[in-house]
Amino acid sequence: MRVLGRCRSPAAGSPRGGSAARAALAVVLAAALAACGGEGAPGGSAGSVPDSARRGGTVVIAGQTEIPGVDPLVPPPDYMASQVERYVLFMPLVQLGSDLGFRPWLARSWDVSEDSTAVVFHLRDDVAWSDGEPVTARDVAFTFRKAKDPDIPFPNRAYFDRWDSVSVVDAHTVRFRIRPYSQFLFGWSQVPVLPRHVLGDVPDSALAGDPFGTSAPVGDGPFRFVRHDQGDRWVFEANPDFPEELGGRPWLDRLVYRVIPDEATAVAELARGEADLFMNVPPGALDRVRSDSSLKVVTFPTSTYAFVAWNTRRPLLSDARVRRALTMAMDREAMLQAVRGGLGRVSAGPLGPWHWAYDTAWKPLPYDPDSAGALLDAAGWRDTDGDGIRDRHGRPFRFTLLVPDVRIRQDIAVMMQADLRKVGVYLEPRTRDFASLAGAIQDPSRPYDAFLLSWSEDLVIDDRDYWACDRRENPLQFSGWCEETLDAVMDSIPRATDRAEKRRLLREYAETVQRAQPYTFLFDEDRAVGLRAGLEGVEMDVRGELRTVRSWWLRPGAR
Amino acid sequence: MAPARSPLRAGQGVLRYTGRRLLEAVPLLLGIVTLTFILLHVAPGDPTTAYFNPNIPPDVLEQMRRNLGLDRPLPVQYLDWLRSFFTGHFGYSFSQHRPVAAVIGDALPNTLLLSGVSLVLIFVLGCAVGIVQAVRQYSALDQVLTVGALTLYSVPGFWLGLMLILLVSAPAVSSWLHLPISGMTSIGYDSMGTWGRIWDQVRHLVLPTIALGLASAAGVARYMRGSMLEVIRQDYIRTARAKGLGEREVILGHALRNALLPVVSLLGLYLPLLFGGTVVIEVVFSWPGMGRLLYDGILARDYPVVMAATFLFGALVVAGNLVSDLLYAAVDPRVRYGER
Repeated sequence: MRVLGRCRSPAAGSPRGGSAARAALAVVLAAALAACGGEGAPGGSAGSVPDSARRGGTVVIAGQTEIPGVDPLVPPPDYMASQVERYVLFMPLVQLGSDLGFRPWLARSWDVSEDSTAVVFHLRDDVAWSDGEPVTARDVAFTFRKAKDPDIPFPNRAYFDRWDSVSVVDAHTVRFRIRPYSQFLFGWSQVPVLPRHVLGDVPDSALAGDPFGTSAPVGDGPFRFVRHDQGDRWVFEANPDFPEELGGRPWLDRLVYRVIPDEATAVAELARGEADLFMNVPPGALDRVRSDSSLKVVTFPTSTYAFVAWNTRRPLLSDARVRRALTMAMDREAMLQAVRGGLGRVSAGPLGPWHWAYDTAWKPLPYDPDSAGALLDAAGWRDTDGDGIRDRHGRPFRFTLLVPDVRIRQDIAVMMQADLRKVGVYLEPRTRDFASLAGAIQDPSRPYDAFLLSWSEDLVIDDRDYWACDRRENPLQFSGWCEETLDAVMDSIPRATDRAEKRRLLREYAETVQRAQPYTFLFDEDRAVGLRAGLEGVEMDVRGELRTVRSWWLRPGAR
Repeated sequence: MAPARSPLRAGQGVLRYTGRRLLEAVPLLLGIVTLTFILLHVAPGDPTTAYFNPNIPPDVLEQMRRNLGLDRPLPVQYLDWLRSFFTGHFGYSFSQHRPVAAVIGDALPNTLLLSGVSLVLIFVLGCAVGIVQAVRQYSALDQVLTVGALTLYSVPGFWLGLMLILLVSAPAVSSWLHLPISGMTSIGYDSMGTWGRIWDQVRHLVLPTIALGLASAAGVARYMRGSMLEVIRQDYIRTARAKGLGEREVILGHALRNALLPVVSLLGLYLPLLFGGTVVIEVVFSWPGMGRLLYDGILARDYPVVMAATFLFGALVVAGNLVSDLLYAAVDPRVRYGER
């Protein structure tokens, strides 16, 4: 087999080592990996602080939801749990770079056959499970077989749809048969390798209740499990044996995740110094956190966008001009400022600024009630009976909007109602708890006119489930809108291996959706994380909040 | 007037009465879980839609439903739950990745601790304030306490909780009163000695106990004041005073026992309030107990958790009512159970 390097992403500058030795090591590493080099180098940005001064201390992370368990095979999937799995307790084969390309992690390198149907991973040989057993190729094969096992409801099985079989070559080499597609390594950046010697004897039916996920995980990541008190906290401690080449033992002694469901309480704990980091500072508390000299705020774009889905199956909303008019009648900037404290940007379509294919020339549809009115006129909606509501063929322009029972979504709905009323459209908001809303919008009878929601886009974009004409029965086809020509574009996206080509396709996709406005894309949301001023090394982006947790450190005064 | 009886017969009567009440509780609790089951399934959505996630392929979703038994007809699911309930394991919690029995086993003691301490606060503080008010009727102290009690009685627990958090977090207060505002234990709890651990838990209990119990304590104080006032006007109290007994002995020795009668029956009234209150208070103070479990379980449509939690709350209320009735008999010699 002739080997063709696939990991060809540009090296992201020189490594930023915390010490000369580390930096030198990282340079060697980068050289050894040739084209696969990247920003995996350890250390924070404050290079003047000696390593010895960084070590020690406990960081308490406050989050609003419980992490139910850390076995990725067990549903339901959970956002914070996947962060802990990926960056704290376990090691995936590869990590995502800032360009969303792939970097070595548990896999030291990998080869891809010329016809892209075979992948061989060369694993690190210096990684051990927390009980002392070495991490080997058999663990990788085991994880893969469990992920493909039809008797296990592994939520992310789709990651491995085109991965067919596995064979262990030797203790640290594992070979896969795949069907070629682009960004094929993505699943291995999300799903960590699991210990075969711990889980191998657990029957499929007992996996969901096994203590591995909730009270006895055995991991190989930068931190080790200490304890889990249900509904209260997870405690982790530094793994002293974490490979030196990957940065070695974390600076922190301990990492604690505490569940504080009430955001007011969480903000108070942050201000008192009982919590070092709060994952989701509400817009209303931002000013307070910013004005506190012992705290700081990190904001970053997420792949989450808020939107209104229009049920285009209904005659009222089937006309693209009408949907465009509704978007232009809403003052989205005012909503963003009022309910999210400006945390985000008014959206210009389905692809947000977090993604490399985003075009900075894209402009959101303007807030322009006059043009909106003209569009509605052109579509035949006029106020003929003088009651202030437009009508057509005797039917008034009224519809209901399902809204989740979350305060800021309800506030948005009220502002939408006022804006639309000004152009003669009557919107009636109806609040639903999340599970009810989720049930209603996935119902095959589509019992809604429109609904308001926010949605996190997958880092690898494949939106055929939402818009493809040949997937009309998919529960996620909320709007029911599709275009045959777009199907071909969306089908090509996962197959395009060339980045420029992929960018062109993604932009064509995004622009087509934006033109048709099956959704009103409200805003691309930023997340605000509050943390102690003395907590350093924290870098967050769309790849996750805990990505750099290994190199977080506390200034001595903050310990 | 009841005829004289031997203590033995009276004891049998109480046993028989307790047995009958427990038997009566069976259809009641069955009704509670049946109603809960129906309400849960009438609400739109199920565990798999509640967690909806575009990455989950439809066949995996179908498999999750199968694994959770959601693909079977409702009566079958209901009977299945009853069966698992009688075998004592309550099923599997989808949202906690664990058997429900283990989930409840972790949460129940925390809630019992919080509500138990609150119950003590409610009755001890409530009675004490009520007695003081009755003894000093129409004094300035009485007026102040009356206004205070009425105010507290009208304040919702979660608001009181948030105000308490803001209060103890204010620099002017936290400099001399450092009380924890969330959780059950400090981060360094594991490395504390036995006494340190107890002290740590006590400090964590202070605010949630107050937020949970203060309104009810105010209610008890109102009852206690009224009841005490009624008792101390009676002839036997005048007799006691005429015998030259000190005021302290008159009130605490003679009047209190009779004045407590109507207050004891309040126990049955306040227990449901108390358990209902934990749902909100445990969220505000991050207390890992049954209330939060129930709250999260409803949002996640985690049917087995909600069923088990409602059943347990129901059982606790029934048990509390029974205890309150038995206590009533214990403090009032005129009340005898089990005789026709």
